[in-house]
Amino acid sequence: MAGIWIIAETREQALELLEAGRTLAPDMGAALTAVVRKVAGPPEDYIARGADEVLLLAELPPEAPFGAHLPVIEQEAKTASPDLILFIASARGKEMAARLAARLGAGLCSGCTALAFDKGSGSIRMERLAYGGAAIQKLTSSAKPVIVAVPPRSFEPAQAVDGRKGKTRELPSPPPSAVRVLERKPKEKVAKDITEARVIVCAGRGFDKKEDLALARALADALGGELGATRPLTEEMHWLPEDLCIGLSGVQVKPELYVGLGVSGQIQHMTGVRGAKIVCAVNRDENAPIFPLSDFGIVGSLYEVVPKLIAELKK
Amino acid sequence: MPIVVACFKWVVDEAYIRRGAGGALDLSSVDYKIGEYDRNAIEEAARLRDAGGGGSVIGVTVGAPDSAKGVKDGLSRGMDQAFFVSDPSFKDLEPSQTAAILAEVIRTRIPQYDLITCGEGSSDLYAQQVGPRLAELLGIPCVCFVQKVSLEGGKLVADRRVEDGIEVVEAPLPALVTVLPDINTPRIPGVKDTLMAGKKPVTTVKKEELAGSFEGTLKTEAMTASSLERTGEKLAADAAGIARFVDSLRKSGVIR
Repeated sequence: MAGIWIIAETREQALELLEAGRTLAPDMGAALTAVVRKVAGPPEDYIARGADEVLLLAELPPEAPFGAHLPVIEQEAKTASPDLILFIASARGKEMAARLAARLGAGLCSGCTALAFDKGSGSIRMERLAYGGAAIQKLTSSAKPVIVAVPPRSFEPAQAVDGRKGKTRELPSPPPSAVRVLERKPKEKVAKDITEARVIVCAGRGFDKKEDLALARALADALGGELGATRPLTEEMHWLPEDLCIGLSGVQVKPELYVGLGVSGQIQHMTGVRGAKIVCAVNRDENAPIFPLSDFGIVGSLYEVVPKLIAELKK
Repeated sequence: MPIVVACFKWVVDEAYIRRGAGGALDLSSVDYKIGEYDRNAIEEAARLRDAGGGGSVIGVTVGAPDSAKGVKDGLSRGMDQAFFVSDPSFKDLEPSQTAAILAEVIRTRIPQYDLITCGEGSSDLYAQQVGPRLAELLGIPCVCFVQKVSLEGGKLVADRRVEDGIEVVEAPLPALVTVLPDINTPRIPGVKDTLMAGKKPVTTVKKEELAGSFEGTLKTEAMTASSLERTGEKLAADAAGIARFVDSLRKSGVIR
């Protein structure tokens, strides 16, 4: 029987991947196997949510990174020979997916934005973005296994169904990893999660200095929204935390309203807001690439326009 | 004195990509560049070399013969020498193929090295696979998404950024890291750097000189232009423009 595997670090990831796997399994005639950490929840829960089999990753010593599981997963995958292996494209997920792909000699579609099984040809069809979001790459694979990494929150969490049955097996402990974790520094939650924001005001290079971001904040407040940023502001100037960086290599957002202030409109950034209902821009350069990628925009200095906008909104 | 291998790719500058008739990808007026993320990989290699009081940075790239410009560009950014693996068929390689070719070249041409640096992804495909795949093919430890790295006593210590924070890790050398854009600020080559680059050694490796067939695993059926275009109405920054802007927002129901 054909097989679909999901490999997850957390329960949240596992549920999203189970949903993806459960959607594909009937057409592929595949059994669904969840490879999850033992500490990430009871196996019965995964079975209720679509897994036919749960493989529990052994608990690791504190200095071992998640990647330490790789040799065990590789061995199991070689034995079971699944057709499709799904990961979430988190930092650890992307790294492990690529390393596993190399070990299995498998193809990997990373950052996969569309995934389907074509019954006629028996191949997996995938889509992803390329050239900073300027292009859509369509891929197929008929060789197995094919590995796919989907961005977080691409799928709803799988719901539990009563009366489902499945097997559970504990995997052996992996050998010691060459990479050792010396320290884990949890992230300070300074910024709000802008992936959930209804309105985002995004600050770009058009701001002269950090203090001026107060203007962007004031507009965000007036609109009941959150502040976002383009990459130069988070990674070059370090004016705002990296969690607020919108774009292909940052977060992808789906607000009802996005307002870019002094944002030029580079493709990598605009790809991150492709899911927005309305995109607006304020930029003093009338030829800025953001204008054709916006629903409407104002040509003018953000320093003049934003206070006027706030005043108009308060009317 | 560390020997650092920096991998880089000469890519299409996506800013020049146009949407052609019927959504085709129009590459007719494109320019090329060294991948943005690869500049950080080269810079970090140079920084580690200098911090280690000598050593060298060996650049390696795989591409079609017209990527030669990229080799010179890379040499102007701090590399001491380069391996250019070139073949007309190396134009649109999959990450699995690129990694396999790089692995074969490094294995057979670079007998000793301490570290390999790669960008977090290429500027064109951004598949983020070549680094970790290469490490596996060479059988060396791999640390991805690194924002800080140092070498000491046969080990690397790195801060890797993951969703829930930072993992400070160590690994024995030789090892491979993929670096994040904020790890450094890549230099902008000056005239002198460009002149010097022309004098640095370049070893061109042909496909026939490599063992292996480097077959792909996935098939790219199509590469089409994405459409991010919207109506693009431009308003003036005067009272009428501001009023229309806010009115449009209200009408579209996005502000309450």
